[in-house]
Amino acid sequence: MMALLMACKRSGLLMSNIHSSGLQKRASMLTRILTLPIRHVQQAVGSLGSLWRTPFTTVMTIFVLGISLALPATLHLFVKNAEQVSEQWDSASQITLFLKLSTSEKSAQNLIKRISLYNEVAEVRYISAKQALKEFKILSGFGQSLEYLDKNPLPATILVTPTQRASQAQAANALLAKLNKEREVEQGKLDLEWLNRLEAMARLIEDIVLGVALLLCLSVVLIVGNTIRLAILNEKDAIAIMKLVGATDSFIQRPFLYAGIWYGIFGGILSCIAVTLLAWYLGYAISDLSELYQSDFQLQGLTGSEALKLIAFAIVLALVGSYISVSQHIKAIEPNAD
Amino acid sequence: MIDFNKVNKTYPGGFLALKQVSFSLASGEMAFLTGHSGAGKSTLLKLISLMEKPSSGSIQINNTELADIQYKQVPYVRRGIGMIFQSHNLLKDRTVFDNVALPLIIEGVSHKEIKKRVATALDKVHLSAKLKCYPHMLSGGEQQRVGIARAIVNKPPILLADEPTGNLDPKLSLDIMSLFEEFNAAGVTVLIATHDLGLIARMKYRTLTLKEGTMINDGIVDGLQAQRAPDE
Repeated sequence: MMALLMACKRSGLLMSNIHSSGLQKRASMLTRILTLPIRHVQQAVGSLGSLWRTPFTTVMTIFVLGISLALPATLHLFVKNAEQVSEQWDSASQITLFLKLSTSEKSAQNLIKRISLYNEVAEVRYISAKQALKEFKILSGFGQSLEYLDKNPLPATILVTPTQRASQAQAANALLAKLNKEREVEQGKLDLEWLNRLEAMARLIEDIVLGVALLLCLSVVLIVGNTIRLAILNEKDAIAIMKLVGATDSFIQRPFLYAGIWYGIFGGILSCIAVTLLAWYLGYAISDLSELYQSDFQLQGLTGSEALKLIAFAIVLALVGSYISVSQHIKAIEPNAD
Repeated sequence: MIDFNKVNKTYPGGFLALKQVSFSLASGEMAFLTGHSGAGKSTLLKLISLMEKPSSGSIQINNTELADIQYKQVPYVRRGIGMIFQSHNLLKDRTVFDNVALPLIIEGVSHKEIKKRVATALDKVHLSAKLKCYPHMLSGGEQQRVGIARAIVNKPPILLADEPTGNLDPKLSLDIMSLFEEFNAAGVTVLIATHDLGLIARMKYRTLTLKEGTMINDGIVDGLQAQRAPDE
């Protein structure tokens, strides 16, 4: 018996913690700090293993997450492409300047030179009075009857195409006001109402997309939170035992938080794949349609950085969901000796 | 080491589990805690291991008042208390090695050290061959010994055992009791809650006897007393 006790003491198994020397404590603390990243990796891998052991729940959650995120991502693509289309329309918007009838050809050319120097102007096209009458004859159908007029009633016209930046309603309006001040100009015209309506519609779509995206993001947080809550309840006994042997809440929380991160990663990747497939599928139909309108418009899918942002966003949402769940439920589980 | 001073514990609903309980257990001492079911044995152990809070009175471990311990400090206090249960409380989906290693993993001990200490602890309870077994593959006695190995693997200064021999045959009960004696001889303070009066009589250690929450006896119980107590 004594020999056994001596062996026990030699092995150090039964030596009390309270007798540890300061040096041993420092060495132990250093070991703990050094092993911290290893423990994190072990818990991250362990939580991945836990997900693997419950494939049905895991796949279902990832799919729900992926689809929930794919919807706002698709709406984002819609807005992005709509902006592209709207930019094309905006750049096509022109300011029409009707010159005074008394303006000579030379003055008109000087005016064109001056307007071309404006920073806000991308292109200037001049339609002389003669040219305007010729076009009017063809388009109006009055033909020969217009030849009975004593003089040409149409003024020379300058078509001003603003730069992209100056194409927005406010900037285009400012440019119009500036051009109206030119002494040769009788009247300038810009279909601002059309532009305003287009912009208002784009803003409305953006707001709807933002609202729907917020709701779907909230649903992602709730889905992950609920999945983690169920996982915690499933592990209730194990959590109680861990607390009994001295596990801190943060130690117990970690695998669940990592599970949330894994859900975020896989859900984010799935949503990227879903959006890319959808963009590819719709791309053919849209290019056929744009060809009919003689447009070179191409549907833009997710860029690499957008895909990474989407995955990062999914991770953040899933982490928030799992954090809310663990902080509420793990503290509530108390060990019971029974 | 463990000091109870006029401790009362009333559960929600008004059930008074402990009444004015006072006793001291010195460092390195071994004692039994006995009494009938509902006498308050488990409540007393729960109070020491911070699973319950006293309604009034003072409990100190190493002169630290347990009532002053914050929620975040509780795990660190529990690491110094090895707990053994009648129901073993093992993690069913983990091997014997993983179960015993749990307190060390929680403490952040290196993998090499964990392997060494788990091997030593399992050797102590004669379960080295069952390292890779899951709890359902073990007998009741083996599961209890895994629980003991887990309780001692991080070398706690205090060991609490709640009916550790409750489901075991007499020979196995004595084997486990001799393990507790070994730990105690190495300086560990041991408190064993049991209603096995025969075992108490054989071991001749200090015995705290509870009856309906009140401490009715504190001393070494001989064979005859053991037959009678705590009813008389």
